Amino acid sequence: MKPFTYILPRSLPEAATAAARKGAQLKAAGIDLIDRMKERIETPSEVVNLLSLKGELSYIKSERDSGLRIGALTTLNDLELDAALGAAQFGALREAAGRTATPLVRNRATIVGNLLQVTRCWYLRSAAFGCLHGKKGPACLAMTGENRYHSVMGYFDCVRVHPSNLAPALLALDAEFTSQLGDRQSRRKLSELFPKEARAMLAEHTLLPGEIVTAIHVPAQPANARSAYRESREKLSFDWATTACAARIVVEGGKIRTATLVLGAVAPVPMPMPEAAKLLIGEAPSDELFQKVANAAYQSAVPLSQNVYKVQVGKAVVRETLHAITR
Amino acid sequence: MSNVEQPRPGEVELKVGFPGHYETRKFQVPEGDAPPWDANTKFTVVGSDEPRVDGVMKASGRAKYSYDVTFKGILYGMILRSPVARGKLTGLELDEARSMPGVAAVLALKELGNKVRFVGDEIAAVAAPTLDQCRDAIEKIRATYESEAHNVDFLSAEDGPLVDDSGEYTEPWAEDSGMEKALAESKVQLTGTYRTEVQTHSSLETHGAVAKWNGADLELWASTQATFGVRGEIAQAMQAAKVKCDSVTLHAEFVGGGFGSKFSGGAETRAVALLAHATQTPVKLMLDRFEEHTCTGNRPASLMHIRAGLSADGILTAWDWRSFGGCGHNGGGGGVAMPNHFLNTAKKRTTHKDIATDTDPARPMRAPGHPQGFFGAELFLDELAAKAGIDPLELRRKNDQQPIRQAQYTLGSETFGWQAGRNPKPGSPMPGDDARYLRGVGMATARWGTLGSHGGRTPHAALCRIHQDGGVETRNGAQDIGVGNKTMMAILTAEELGIPVANVKAVMGHTSDPSGPASGGSTTTPSIAPAVRLAAYQAKLELGKLAAKHLDISEDKITWAGGKIGADGKWLTFAEACKLIGPNPIEARGQRFPNYKGEPIENGVCGVQFAEVLVDTWTGLVKVTRMLALQDCGVVIAKKTAESQVLGAMIQGISYALYEQRLMDKRSGRMLNGDFLRYKVIGSIDMPPMQAILQTVFNGHSNTSAAGLGEPPSVAAPAAIANAVFNAIGVAVRHLPITPDKVLRALNQRGGN
Repeated sequence: MKPFTYILPRSLPEAATAAARKGAQLKAAGIDLIDRMKERIETPSEVVNLLSLKGELSYIKSERDSGLRIGALTTLNDLELDAALGAAQFGALREAAGRTATPLVRNRATIVGNLLQVTRCWYLRSAAFGCLHGKKGPACLAMTGENRYHSVMGYFDCVRVHPSNLAPALLALDAEFTSQLGDRQSRRKLSELFPKEARAMLAEHTLLPGEIVTAIHVPAQPANARSAYRESREKLSFDWATTACAARIVVEGGKIRTATLVLGAVAPVPMPMPEAAKLLIGEAPSDELFQKVANAAYQSAVPLSQNVYKVQVGKAVVRETLHAITR
Repeated sequence: MSNVEQPRPGEVELKVGFPGHYETRKFQVPEGDAPPWDANTKFTVVGSDEPRVDGVMKASGRAKYSYDVTFKGILYGMILRSPVARGKLTGLELDEARSMPGVAAVLALKELGNKVRFVGDEIAAVAAPTLDQCRDAIEKIRATYESEAHNVDFLSAEDGPLVDDSGEYTEPWAEDSGMEKALAESKVQLTGTYRTEVQTHSSLETHGAVAKWNGADLELWASTQATFGVRGEIAQAMQAAKVKCDSVTLHAEFVGGGFGSKFSGGAETRAVALLAHATQTPVKLMLDRFEEHTCTGNRPASLMHIRAGLSADGILTAWDWRSFGGCGHNGGGGGVAMPNHFLNTAKKRTTHKDIATDTDPARPMRAPGHPQGFFGAELFLDELAAKAGIDPLELRRKNDQQPIRQAQYTLGSETFGWQAGRNPKPGSPMPGDDARYLRGVGMATARWGTLGSHGGRTPHAALCRIHQDGGVETRNGAQDIGVGNKTMMAILTAEELGIPVANVKAVMGHTSDPSGPASGGSTTTPSIAPAVRLAAYQAKLELGKLAAKHLDISEDKITWAGGKIGADGKWLTFAEACKLIGPNPIEARGQRFPNYKGEPIENGVCGVQFAEVLVDTWTGLVKVTRMLALQDCGVVIAKKTAESQVLGAMIQGISYALYEQRLMDKRSGRMLNGDFLRYKVIGSIDMPPMQAILQTVFNGHSNTSAAGLGEPPSVAAPAAIANAVFNAIGVAVRHLPITPDKVLRALNQRGGN
């Protein structure tokens, strides 16, 4: 990698000031960033290492309303093992954290680092290629090239997929995030962290330069809510999801009362599927119903030349997720 | 071991064979060899569960690989590689790179006008104090190319095989009336096209070396599987610097895998020697993972088109085979090996053609040609058996005349539970299973053939030293690339001397020691084991002479028993006998004699593997749930490391069958998954319970009867898994790797999902 100034902030305001400087890059565990720096597709002049704030930003706190407040630097391993996430309502988050990468990565990777990853598209992540999303080429190379792991929906001029597996789970749980920009703090819906229209020229997230996500909020879930997360892969050990699904459901009196459904790894952004989820409302859980919902979730899919399989696999994962919740 | 017998050159009778199949055969033993072991020999440590002698060193990080070698002030080397897949180098400006801070040397590896043959072809090399400075310098080299149209897909090559949308090869068969007749007369016929993708070796330690000049002499620490070959190669490359073999010493004490990709030092080793020479400073040049995937060879892709006929009583009567290798720019190395052992009386025809593409050339990879060829042939056999309504194991029993494999069929099917494991209705869930999952079992065979050699024009040898403090060394200059050769050497020496294995130090990988083979063709152990044993035997005779003199008994009466040396009530312990040695150790050399004249039980080794899979019909994911290997490797010397070889081959076989494939960007000719994130190698959760049953076979070809083991267990695994998938889902997936997309396509084609 290129030489850079390494900054260990002593406080959040100090980090915010450093992060606002031109050429500065925030780093949490660095699992994504260091790879890109080694490949020299990212050459920051300053790296602000947030891990020096770990004492302040790593926690899982139960709020008074039984929601959760999770510090930005909380590791995936902590998420998987913390008793507060043991409840069935938070199943999706626990499962997504526990399925990511390898134990070594989970011991280090952070919740917000996972949400803010840059796409794993092999064209973007190689210095040898210049593509539109990387702002080094005129077009999306995967659109007409090798695209077996790319988007099947929600794309415009770039078919990258959003790589976070925590994002669908947190969206299904109606999560919010707090960020710090300069001395201003704001709390917004997590869905606002991702661009509405996933254009090539837009980043994977909507944060402004220097803006630091400090916490994730998982609000109190509806009574009797249960949630789950499932993903498909090509192998069970360390692999990136080919499709993912998170859902949260409340079943009362044998009927589904509320439902959320979010797809992952199929589009440049995590994809909430409210219309498909609506089909569940008022119905009794059944395999037939779940297949109908899965079909609806993928109704808008327009697969590329090499990823037609993702539609079938993705539907299976929706079906499996819904079964996992209502079992 | 019992009495020290004097060598008895000439014809000897040996009890050879394997449990249930012993016989006495005559062999010519050369003068000077140790008395050969046979099935009557009682072993103390040979074949026992001795642990890997360097296991703790490896697990604790104390084993130093070439990658770990460093010196104060060492420089790093890096190679500029071609971004174009085909063309010509038209410009190369090195001056700006040379003026970069810290840069100690910049060398051209190609001349203007030279052809550029693949993305990754080496252009120039630099040396600097850090890898980042190397990279900065590389970025300042101005290389220009005249590029030509390229092709990286052998199916798109002008002379490549034409396949239709369903993947079937469409060319008509060349006329052969005998073949047509044999097919017409058979009762059941089948035709099919089978394909495999490029697999990279993926050795954990990448290629490369550290070079250090000591005056006019060059010392190299290289990650290689051919210490002597690479020494000669580098001496030749440095001829301009008046270097000869005698001034090059190569060390490869620990090597992190090779799998066939490390026979040559390659451009990287030549470059590091040149850089170290130019700078007169030690230089380390180890490739990165992308270079390892794209520039150090691979198991090439293949396409096999097979048709065959089966008689009413289940005998193969016609076998028509044509295959293609999807190779690199040199258009070689794509040969596909077919299991000949089922075709005893069949009318047979085989043709093969290698197809060149503008990629990194193929290199031998663990049983070259075999995993791909056996996958095609053995899956074809299972499809043929299904069509004929015959159990696939029965089909093999009927057509295979090899007694070792026949014994393996019986033991394997009993141990694995073949009958109970078979899915009686492929495509339907087994009783008790969730309807979502389909279970099935499959099996396949293996053959690999050599019993090692004495080294051709110049024989291999080993050295045994016994010191006065009781320390024993066994040494050979070949390399242990991780398979366990050192453990084998220590065990053989301990057996011969009647001492604990822990008292023997085995050293390999230094060209200053006696010569040994390159680690290829599974020949290292069978080639050096007899020399190692002979060296220990000769050292023992020397120690016996000292003991006889000291005890005042005649040399021919000396007996070795229970760790003691002597006769007639006069005994010395091994340690006491060693005290008779002066400051100079006993040093004995054992030569590798040619394989004995006579008929060995088998001129290679045999294997059979069984696999069970569970197929998720929703997502198409295949999980291997258990595997069994039966493998002969001659006499088993180091049981643990031998089993580890077999288990490792099964793991690599699963990985090849289900996950691994090189994915290329056709437009640029560049590999897209040249890392371990997208190039998918099996991980621990994907590994099933596995069992390896080793069969000791006394072949009678050398004083130890050791045969090779590295490659044979990698032959059957992918085929066994593909057959299990076929048994589970009722449709053959004829294209490796069996990824979820292909499984779903097969299931959709079957319908009713």
